[in-house]
Amino acid sequence: MNENEMLKKLMVDAFEKGLIEAVMAPAATKDSYTYALITKKEDVDKLTPIAPVMQWNGADMLRRITRLKKSERKLLAILRPCEARTYKELVKFNQVNPENIIVLSYDCPGTIHARTYKYQPTGIDELIAEIKKGGKSNKIREACKVCEYPTPIPNVGDIGLGLVNTDSPVFFALSDKGKEFLKAMGIEEGSRNADEWIAMHRKIREEWYEKERIRGGRKGLEEFLSSCLNCHNCKNMCPICFCKECFFEDRTVFDYESTKFFNWADDKDGIRLPTDKALFHIGRLIHMGTSCIGCGLCQQACPMDIPLYRLFGIVGNELQKVFDYKPGVDDAIPPVMDFREDELHEFEGLLGGEE
Amino acid sequence: MKEKKFEPVIVGFFCNWCTSAAADLAGTSRLHYPPNIRPIRVMCSSTVDPVYMIRALQEGADATILGGCHPGDCHYITGNYKARRRIAIVKTVLKSLEFDDDRVLLEWISGSEGPKFARVMNEYTEYIRNKGPSDFKYLDSLGGEEVE
Repeated sequence: MNENEMLKKLMVDAFEKGLIEAVMAPAATKDSYTYALITKKEDVDKLTPIAPVMQWNGADMLRRITRLKKSERKLLAILRPCEARTYKELVKFNQVNPENIIVLSYDCPGTIHARTYKYQPTGIDELIAEIKKGGKSNKIREACKVCEYPTPIPNVGDIGLGLVNTDSPVFFALSDKGKEFLKAMGIEEGSRNADEWIAMHRKIREEWYEKERIRGGRKGLEEFLSSCLNCHNCKNMCPICFCKECFFEDRTVFDYESTKFFNWADDKDGIRLPTDKALFHIGRLIHMGTSCIGCGLCQQACPMDIPLYRLFGIVGNELQKVFDYKPGVDDAIPPVMDFREDELHEFEGLLGGEE
Repeated sequence: MKEKKFEPVIVGFFCNWCTSAAADLAGTSRLHYPPNIRPIRVMCSSTVDPVYMIRALQEGADATILGGCHPGDCHYITGNYKARRRIAIVKTVLKSLEFDDDRVLLEWISGSEGPKFARVMNEYTEYIRNKGPSDFKYLDSLGGEEVE
């Protein structure tokens, strides 16, 4: 029995025991995988709980479900570790109501770029086989290769499924809710050793971080964004960019009279059109960078294949270092919602520090 | 003909209750501060989204200042603490991309500190004048020197 069959059996059992009344998990489509919500145990077969493609962030789907009203039924959501962290972050932002939701997360084998998968499908079993041996497939997305937290973390989500370095998957509880669930299901908690596997990821990440960092100020950023279409897909796919009305789509701010365009062209020796392309990316960094989870969906969504995760992930991490904050992992309030009375004096005044 | 000396343009976002009052006080006290400052009065330093500061730089300002009340003295109790976090964010973003983060300045100047206002404005203008024109305005344009 493979992992997906095992999870499906768990769902059917949980349905029968009345522990859950609905499931949200990926389901296959012709060329890809989408999230699906089911409410009957007969429909469980239509799901693929562990999918090789992450087209949307599952936490974003939970936000859509609970945006207006808390979940009415007991919902089991199968989320990757990055999605589970997003879920936690969105709960802090009051975007998801965690009531009645149980999150099951697993040692993530990584996901394949949705467009690559469409033309060269790779089965999930192949990816899982790699991590069972303690390795990782090289077909996965850049963001997955350099993932900082590829395993379920305590207090992020409720139940963890361990797959690394083991032939028989093990369940373990991440929260009290998860403990109760496993007890009611009659599942013994197990453990597996994933420390080395996590360390391997972090090492790759460190090298990547130094190598791919965007440097060189204006020129560096311009080169990096040179093929940007200004389509705002990266923003639309970003689970942290949850504002209903985005500042960068505000026509009162970004519509100009012709005079303005000509003056700019005079002043700057010619301008590129459409305007405000780089400003959009810098602005988005300012708005969401402190909470960037690192799912890399911005990069997957980019129609021009700009490696945007190098921008948002790395600058986001720099921001998180300033506030000593790990989005989706810490219980602390997100930096943009919080403040201390005595902090950050190095950013005051010209030379840092108040007189 | 004498070469024209570089005169920076500095956009200042000054809070209504402290820094703007300090600017008035500096004026009525006949303290000199440079005409390079273009003050914009805002109700609180926390109402300024740093994107507007970035935008000022892109529109051709050589530097921007955010002026607020001293920590603990905010008219709206906690506004300036939030402004400080935002400035920390924008400065870190600029620094991490290797832009010049000195062109964004946060200063606490209370309503009674007219002399401090004049001094800070003089010092900062001189600092930016020595630094030279900002490269930032050429972002997304065809102009500007090639950076190596």
